[in-house]
Amino acid sequence: MLDKTANPLQRRLLESERLMEETGCYDGITELRLRRQDPLKFETLHTKLRAYCVSAREMARRISASPGVREVGEMVVAIYTPEGDAIALSNGIMVHVHTMSRFIKWMIRNGYEQNPCIRDGDIFANNDAFIGTVQVPDVMDVVPIFHEDTLVGWAGAVCHELEAGGITPGGDVCLAQERFTEGLFVCAEKIGENDEIRRDYVIRCERNLRMPIYWVLDEKAKVAACIDMRESVKQLINEVGLEYWQRLSKEFIEEGRRAQLARTRQLTVPGIYRGHTFYGHVTEGKPGFQPLADPNWLYNIPIEMEITSEGKIRLDFDGTQPWGYHSMNCTPAGMDGGMFVTLTQHMNFEGLVNDGAWMATEINIPHGTWTNPDNEMAATATSWALLLPAYGVFQRLLSRGFIARGFVEEAFVGQVNSPMIEMGGISQYGTGFGMAHFECAAAGSGALAIKDGLDTAYVGWNPESDMGNIEIWEQNMPMVYIGRSIVPNSGGAGKYRGGCAFISTWLINKTDHLRLVTSEHSSRVFDNGGLCGGYPAPTCEKHHAVRNSDIHERAERRESLAHAPGTDPLVSDFERIYKGEQVFEEGPYITRPHKAGDIFSHAYNGGGGFGDVLERDPVKTAWDVENGFLTRQAAEKVFGIILREDAEGYPQADIEATAVRREQMRKERLKKAIPVSEWIARERRRVKASDFAPEVAKMYRSAMKLSLRFSKDFKEFWGLASDFAIAGEN
Amino acid sequence: MTGYSKEVINDLVNGTLPWAQTRRIMSAYKDDDRFFKYLAVLQDRVSWSDPILLPVGDRLFICDSAEGRVTRCECGHSFGDYRRNWKLNAVINVRDTEESLREIYPNSDIPDPRWMEIREFFCPECAHLHEVEAAAPGYPIVHDFEPDLEGFYRDWLGKPLKDLS
Repeated sequence: MLDKTANPLQRRLLESERLMEETGCYDGITELRLRRQDPLKFETLHTKLRAYCVSAREMARRISASPGVREVGEMVVAIYTPEGDAIALSNGIMVHVHTMSRFIKWMIRNGYEQNPCIRDGDIFANNDAFIGTVQVPDVMDVVPIFHEDTLVGWAGAVCHELEAGGITPGGDVCLAQERFTEGLFVCAEKIGENDEIRRDYVIRCERNLRMPIYWVLDEKAKVAACIDMRESVKQLINEVGLEYWQRLSKEFIEEGRRAQLARTRQLTVPGIYRGHTFYGHVTEGKPGFQPLADPNWLYNIPIEMEITSEGKIRLDFDGTQPWGYHSMNCTPAGMDGGMFVTLTQHMNFEGLVNDGAWMATEINIPHGTWTNPDNEMAATATSWALLLPAYGVFQRLLSRGFIARGFVEEAFVGQVNSPMIEMGGISQYGTGFGMAHFECAAAGSGALAIKDGLDTAYVGWNPESDMGNIEIWEQNMPMVYIGRSIVPNSGGAGKYRGGCAFISTWLINKTDHLRLVTSEHSSRVFDNGGLCGGYPAPTCEKHHAVRNSDIHERAERRESLAHAPGTDPLVSDFERIYKGEQVFEEGPYITRPHKAGDIFSHAYNGGGGFGDVLERDPVKTAWDVENGFLTRQAAEKVFGIILREDAEGYPQADIEATAVRREQMRKERLKKAIPVSEWIARERRRVKASDFAPEVAKMYRSAMKLSLRFSKDFKEFWGLASDFAIAGEN
Repeated sequence: MTGYSKEVINDLVNGTLPWAQTRRIMSAYKDDDRFFKYLAVLQDRVSWSDPILLPVGDRLFICDSAEGRVTRCECGHSFGDYRRNWKLNAVINVRDTEESLREIYPNSDIPDPRWMEIREFFCPECAHLHEVEAAAPGYPIVHDFEPDLEGFYRDWLGKPLKDLS
C-alpha cells in the first residue's frame, strides 16, 4: 500500500489546494507582504525571472534542428513552483504553460516522489494530452530545481514536433481515430538523469519516428533551456535566500490572480455573454478512415460566458457534442490551454502573467463531450480543429465586453481555424521523411473594431505568428514553391474586413513518393464568425492538384504558368493552363502518393469581419482591389462600392455612385427581410418536422441527449412540448 | 494615470485615429476615465437625447427612455426592453441557398446550405446590419449579451442607476 506520508510534495500540493479553497487566495496568500515591503525589488525579481525564460528559449531555438521551432518559434519555456504552478514564462506557444502545469501536478499526484523518484538532474517528458498537453506533437520536458535537498521549483519547456510517428506523417494526424494511431506517446516518463537524456529513450525515438532528428535535437534544446533556467533560479535563490524565494514565487502567482480580476473589471462589463460556432468535417468515404471514423461530423459549440461582479470569468461549454472516433477531441488540459493563451494575449498584455490569471477563471467542460472525453483512448491529434474556433468565440465574447466598456482598440473578432498540411514518403535526397509544414502559423486574423484584421500574420496558439522562410521549408520537403499569394475575399466582409489568408502552390520535385495529408478542414460550415454585423470568413478552400502536369513542357516552351488556382469558382486557372489530371478535393486531402511533375495547392483561412459591410471605406477598398485582397466583383456586389479606373488604369472609388448604390442596397435589404417573429413561426414547422440534413439532425439529437440545458432552451425557443425529440436514430 | 481627450476617443472609435497613435494607446496602461468619455462621444453621434447607458454593439445601445431602459439603434429605432433579446424585434434575411450565399461570397468556397445558413438581423427603420449569425438550420437565435447593468453601475463604476421599480 502506498505510504502517502512519504510524499511531502503531494502533501504540499493538497495543502496548497486546501488553502486556496479556504481563503480564495493562491496558497493562502491573503496579503502581498513582500510586494508591500519593497515593490521595486518585487518587480525587479519578476523581470529577472521573465528574462531567464526569454533568454533560455532563444538559446534553445538555436540548438533546435526543426524549422518549426527555429524558424517559426513553436516553443515556450516556463518556471514553476514545486506544486507545478507557473510563476513566469517566455513568449512563444503560451498555450502550453498551463498544460505543463497539469503534467507536473499529475506526476506529484501519482506518487513520482517514491517511484520513479524525483532527484536533482532528472529529466521528465510527456506528450500525453490526458496527462497534460494539447496533442501528441507537443512534447514537454521538465526538470526539478533543488536548493540543497529541497525541491524549490521546476523548469519546463515545450516544442511542437513536426513529426510524431502516427498513422500518417506529421503530428496533426487526421486519420487517428483512437490514441493507438497517433504516434509515439511519452507518458510522464523519466527520460534522463544527471542532466543527460537516456540513450535508450533516444533509440526509441529514432526507431519510431519518420524524422527523428527533429524530436531528438528538440529534446536537447529543451533540456538545455531547462538547465539554463534551473541554474539561474538557483543563483537567484542564493542571492535572496530560500525563505524569501518560497514566499516570493507564491506572491507572484497571487498577484497574477488579483491582476486578472482587476483587469476584467477594468476592461469589461459584468453579465452573461453568449456565442456559438460550428465545425463541419467531411470524412465519409475518404481513403484511410476506418469504419468508426467514417461518418461526416457536424459539431455545434455553444459557449456561455459569465463575468461575475468579482471579475471572475466563467466559461461554459454545456450543449456541445460528444467525443467521437476521430482526431478532433480535446482534453481538459487542452481546454485550459486555450483559456490561458487567450487571456495572455487579450487581457494580460502587461505586468505579471502566470497561472494566477488562469486561477481567476472557471471553465465547465461537460464530461463525455469533445472537451472532456470520458474515455482516455479517444484521439486528440487534431484537437485544434475544434479548439481554435471555440476560443475564437471566447475572443468575440470578450470583445463584446471591451466594446461595451469603450476599449474598442482591444476588440478582436477572433482567431481562425487554420488548415494544416503534413507530408511524408521519400524526400528529394532519396531518404524517408515525414514532417508538418508550419506556414499555417500565419493565417488571417479576425477584424478589429477599429481596423481590418491582420493579413497572413496571425494564429491563436502563437502570438508571434510566423510562416517561416520559404527556402527553409523547401529544404525539408520535396516540393518547390511556384506560387504563394493572397487569397482574395478570404477575410469576412464588414466595415472592417477580416484578415486575408494566403495560398501556396507547389511543384512536386525529385521524388516518386510524396504523401500529402491535410487537416483542420471545416468545409461544410463557417467556423470563423464575424461580430456586430460582420460576416464570417469563407469556408476553407478546396484543394486543387494537377497530376502528371505539363508544367515542365510549358516552361520549356516559355509559356505562361498558373501560380494559383485563381478566383473563378467555376473554372480554375490550373484547368485553363495545365494539361493533366485535375483533382478537386473537399475537406482533408488524403490520396495516393504524388510524384515529380504534379502540382498541388493548399490555402489557409481568413478571419471574420466587423460591422456593417455598407459602412466600409470605399478608398480603402480600391486599395484592396488594386492589391488583390478583394476582387472587384466583391467590392461592388458585397460592399456596394463602385470603382472606376484612373488615368493609369488603377481602381478608384466613385464616392457619389457608391452612396447611391448603397442607398439602393439598404432599400433592397428591407424589401427582402421579414420580421423575426414571422421567420420563427415558419421555421418552427421545419423544426417540428425534423426537416434537417442527417448530420444536422444527428447533431441536435446528441446535444439534447447530453445537455438538459440545451434541450430545454431549444424546446422553449421553438415552443415545443417537453417530450419533443428530433426524429431519426443516431 | 493615462487619459485622452474626448476628440482622441472620438477618432479612435471612428477608426480614424492615426495608427501610430492608436498603437501607443494599445500599448499604454488603460485610461480609467474611458467609459464616460466614450458615452459622451456616442451620445454626440445620435440625434436623440435619451442618455446612452451602455453600448451593446457597433451602433446598438441600451438607453434610458420614457418607455424604460431599451435597446436602441443609432437611428433611434427601439428594439424594446433591454433585458429581452433585441433580435426578436429586428427584421431578418436568411441566406440558405447556394445562390444567396454566393451574393456575399462570390469568389470563395461556401458551406453546404443544408448544414449552415446565414441570418442577417437588420434595423427595420434604417436597415443597418447589426448582427450576422452563422448557424445550422433550426438553431435557436442566440441572445448575445445580457449585461448586469445595475451591478455594473453600482459596483464597478460606483455610480448607481436610479431605481426604476
